[in-house]
Amino acid sequence: MSTLTDLRIAAVGDIHLGEDARGRYRRRLEGIEQRADVLLVAGDLTRHGTLEEGRVVADELRDLPVPVVTVLGNHDYHSDLQFEIASELRDAGVIVLDDDGVVLEIGESKLGVVGGKGFGGGYAGKCASEFGEREIKNFVSHTRFIAEAWKVALKEIVADHRVVLSHYSPIKETLEGEPPEIYPFLGSYLLAEAVDTVGADLILHGHAHRGTEKGITPGGIRVRNVALPVLGKPYAVYCMDGAC
Amino acid sequence: MEAPQYVAARVQQALAEDGRTNELGIRVDVRGDQLFLRGQVSEAGQRDRLGLVAHEAAPELHLHNEITIVGDVFDQGEDEHLD
Ligand SMILES: [Fe+2]
Ligand SMILES: [Fe+2]
Repeated sequence: MSTLTDLRIAAVGDIHLGEDARGRYRRRLEGIEQRADVLLVAGDLTRHGTLEEGRVVADELRDLPVPVVTVLGNHDYHSDLQFEIASELRDAGVIVLDDDGVVLEIGESKLGVVGGKGFGGGYAGKCASEFGEREIKNFVSHTRFIAEAWKVALKEIVADHRVVLSHYSPIKETLEGEPPEIYPFLGSYLLAEAVDTVGADLILHGHAHRGTEKGITPGGIRVRNVALPVLGKPYAVYCMDGAC
Repeated sequence: MEAPQYVAARVQQALAEDGRTNELGIRVDVRGDQLFLRGQVSEAGQRDRLGLVAHEAAPELHLHNEITIVGDVFDQGEDEHLD
């Protein structure tokens, strides 16, 4: 790091480790400490959200030479064991965000990370609304609840840099490549709106395996889809304030 | 005869819902008696399982598993500077 607030953020999502990844994933992260100061993982850590897979992820991410912050993705919820998986990860020293935030001291700089899984609903003008059947209202209000929690968490964070970590996408630009018919299941503009209201330096997400890496919110915040198939490399590195 | 669109949809649902795969991002196309799988996954085992599950869902079709493997590369490429 060359100045006080320089920061190098490594990020990847959708690593989808199955039990056959045990002992095999970690080598992809070798030398990460030379390239980055922190690793953010944007959910879909497992394939089926089983506890065994959760333990594989915990072991592969355990004691890395840089701090690791993660959120869960929809796959990690598939077996209704999301809380158990999160606690396996926490026992391994991984920070798991669940619609809250954390401040990391990295060198002389403070990095605030806020986030959680996020959820769907679609994008302004083409989205579901809280109307009609209970199932639809529940769907939309789940996203609203999450967006509100992120707003609160962002306001509370005091840091040199603020990054939002999500699984679902806050904007549709980074979904380009996915069929437009499924956009409402890939994210929601309510997430972007919440972050734009308070401000942040960067939003990271995954989930859209066929999407596009780079986008920007209506408020001008950089968005990066770091899903592993989108990146085509073990992780991306984003440098702030002239780091790297 | 079942319309090709329904066959493709059934295969896609199988890839998403079958516990061996649970893969949502695979493109499935049916042309005549040919079944095409396209997309990207992170390891060869998953590609093979996708082929197997697709074949079970539509055994009458000739399968072309064109799924590619990514993320195994150690070449990191360039970092991005955000300023
Ligand atoms: Fe995923
Ligand atoms: Fe996902």
